[in-house]
Amino acid sequence: MENERMTIYVDGRSVEVDGNLNLAKACETAGASIPTLCHLEGVSSNASCGVCVVEVEGAKSLVRACVQKPSPGMKIKTSSLRVINARRTAVELLLANHPMDCLSCLRSGNCELKAMAERLGIRASHYPKLKKFAPPDTSTDGLTRDDSKCILCGRCVAVCAETQTVHAIGFSGRGARTRVTAFMDRGLAKSPCVQCGQCSVVCPTAAITERDQTQEVLLALADPSLHVIVQTAPAIRSSLGEALGMAQGSLVTGRMVAGLRRLGFAKVFDTQFTADLTIMEEGTEFIQRVKEGGTLPMITSCSPGWINFIEAFYPSLLGHLSTCKSPQQMFGAVAKTFYAQKTGLDPENIRVVSIMPCTAKKAEAKRPEMDSAYHFWKEKKTAAGGAVHHFQDVDWALTTRELARIMRLAGIDTAKLEDENFDSPLGESTGAATIFGTTGGVMEAALRTVYEILEGKPLPETNFTPVRGLAGIKTAEVPVGGMKVRIAVAHSLKNARVLLDEIAAGTSPYHFIEVMTCPGGCVGGGGQPVLPDLGKILARNRSLYAEDMNLPERKSHANVEVKSLYTAFLGAPASHLSHELLHTHYKAKRF
Amino acid sequence: MPSTAVAQKDGDLKHIILENRDKQGYLLKILEKAQETSPKLYLSEETMREVAHRLDIPLTQVYSVATFYSFFNLKPQGLHSIVVCRGTACHTRGSLALLNEALSMLGIKSFKEEEENSVTSLDGFASVRTVACFGQCALAPVVMIDGEVKSRMTIGRLVTLLHKMKKGG
Repeated sequence: MENERMTIYVDGRSVEVDGNLNLAKACETAGASIPTLCHLEGVSSNASCGVCVVEVEGAKSLVRACVQKPSPGMKIKTSSLRVINARRTAVELLLANHPMDCLSCLRSGNCELKAMAERLGIRASHYPKLKKFAPPDTSTDGLTRDDSKCILCGRCVAVCAETQTVHAIGFSGRGARTRVTAFMDRGLAKSPCVQCGQCSVVCPTAAITERDQTQEVLLALADPSLHVIVQTAPAIRSSLGEALGMAQGSLVTGRMVAGLRRLGFAKVFDTQFTADLTIMEEGTEFIQRVKEGGTLPMITSCSPGWINFIEAFYPSLLGHLSTCKSPQQMFGAVAKTFYAQKTGLDPENIRVVSIMPCTAKKAEAKRPEMDSAYHFWKEKKTAAGGAVHHFQDVDWALTTRELARIMRLAGIDTAKLEDENFDSPLGESTGAATIFGTTGGVMEAALRTVYEILEGKPLPETNFTPVRGLAGIKTAEVPVGGMKVRIAVAHSLKNARVLLDEIAAGTSPYHFIEVMTCPGGCVGGGGQPVLPDLGKILARNRSLYAEDMNLPERKSHANVEVKSLYTAFLGAPASHLSHELLHTHYKAKRF
Repeated sequence: MPSTAVAQKDGDLKHIILENRDKQGYLLKILEKAQETSPKLYLSEETMREVAHRLDIPLTQVYSVATFYSFFNLKPQGLHSIVVCRGTACHTRGSLALLNEALSMLGIKSFKEEEENSVTSLDGFASVRTVACFGQCALAPVVMIDGEVKSRMTIGRLVTLLHKMKKGG
């Protein structure tokens, strides 16, 4: 786009602006902030809320600044009484049907509607409540939808359709009966929803939120008969600080560990331990597939929203997925077998809590096949004449947002804590595991290990920059072990779709593909602090790469605790026991 | 109209889709024809699924369009159709009473105008729906019975017409 400079007049002052900006942005350069409840840069712009109106000289009616472009000499009033009254009316009409349970609402602290009402000085609503709403949709394990809080801004519909190409929800009905629904007004569980939760980070209110499981975890922590341990995903260390009011991208690894210990977790472990383990298993699987003529390209399987996506939309390509479980699930399986055995704890009394940047992880933990540890013990105990009750490998997955809420509830001032270290034996990790949290990270981690296994010598350069950055699809060719390995990395499901269509058409040139469901990878996950923007995601990415640089070991195969897990328990990567505990299978999902 | 409705076979829908898929506004055309050719004059879940599948568009898009236009029925319709105009002119000339009379004669206990487009009697005999305006305000109140617009309707005439309908006249 050409940079077209022009002069406009904002509230009487002349200002030179870029003519390609929307009018709201243009006014902002003149110091006039234009409020909006629906417009979200890069996600949606459908001018549905009517809050961004401004007065333009010569225009008959008020103009919606988020969808209008400036024109040379345009005279704009951004805060005339007419404008203010129109904005107030728009918000009052939204509030008329709103439940107004702000005091007990999940989004009480960061609701855009509430903030807007406050900003516009709305003291009373003059309109009667006319709408009736269906009860909240709790049909899925990851997300809750509450229509009564929906202001029909359309952000969720846009992110679901355009960023993720899932189309689980859409507008239905018309006029006062308009609502956001899945097909046939059925719950999300019967839709193609992949549980990515991108809708929940862009929602201005509590109409779509994570399934809150904080109370269940607090109850478990208070139960002395339980041994409650926690694992933290790589992306949390670069976003928890922000969720607790620190600067964007604050790296809080050590303080997060200290805070979790104060919450009463018996052990604070790291999902990065099993991220390193994943690389051992997945790297081995890739080498086997290449050597034995297995299905290629092989695609990573760490991101549960992505798994739900391919199961629903491309079931014929499931053979391309790595059979490796995600690091979260590998952790659960290892904790309730190896760790239980090593410590002599009854696996039935262990509770595994995950802290994840992700709502799909909640659903992943509940998948019926994610109970490998139970089967491990059932075999052992039945042979010895005992019995074991059913349990899942991971009990609860909390999002970054939920952990931040618990930290506040417990009065833990994370910013003031001294750094502490993860516990052993499931706490050690390498830089390769840290970068699992960002797009390109799993690929880079895998290449570091696959290269050294196949070449038998150290990598000349540990940083593999072609897979870094926020381009939607990144590709590279890497000479490894006498072969040119062609790789591709995609984040956001619309980009994954491009690579899948190539595979389906038989034109995919790649051997190895990494897919992450969310924009920017897990750092932009659906369980992260709400209202992400590119700047926040980049800041979190940078923090993870910084931690990678500062860790003593940066390659998964150098993880000493992972090595001893193999020696003491699993045997070798891709062993029989590894397959039982660390690998899985997929099935087509009908919707 | 119910009397001219033909039984819809799978082949019909496939044919409708193939014939219209490249035309402008294809989804509306296809849904309209699919409803017209369905024996109970409605878009069933299966029909909408098939339309989405064959056009390779999301289910939510089909549902969005089908629920936006009050013309589309998502429930099976009765043998006969009674449409009561609820526009301002008809309302001031007593259309609410006409609506209530029609409902009570058909044994329909409740109809929430603000929540649904139409309601069908339990025996499947007739469907009652409301529209915002027929554009026949000068002839208010207006009721459409089986596709025929009846102007300056009164309760007495409505009762007579419905009795005749019930007797199969």
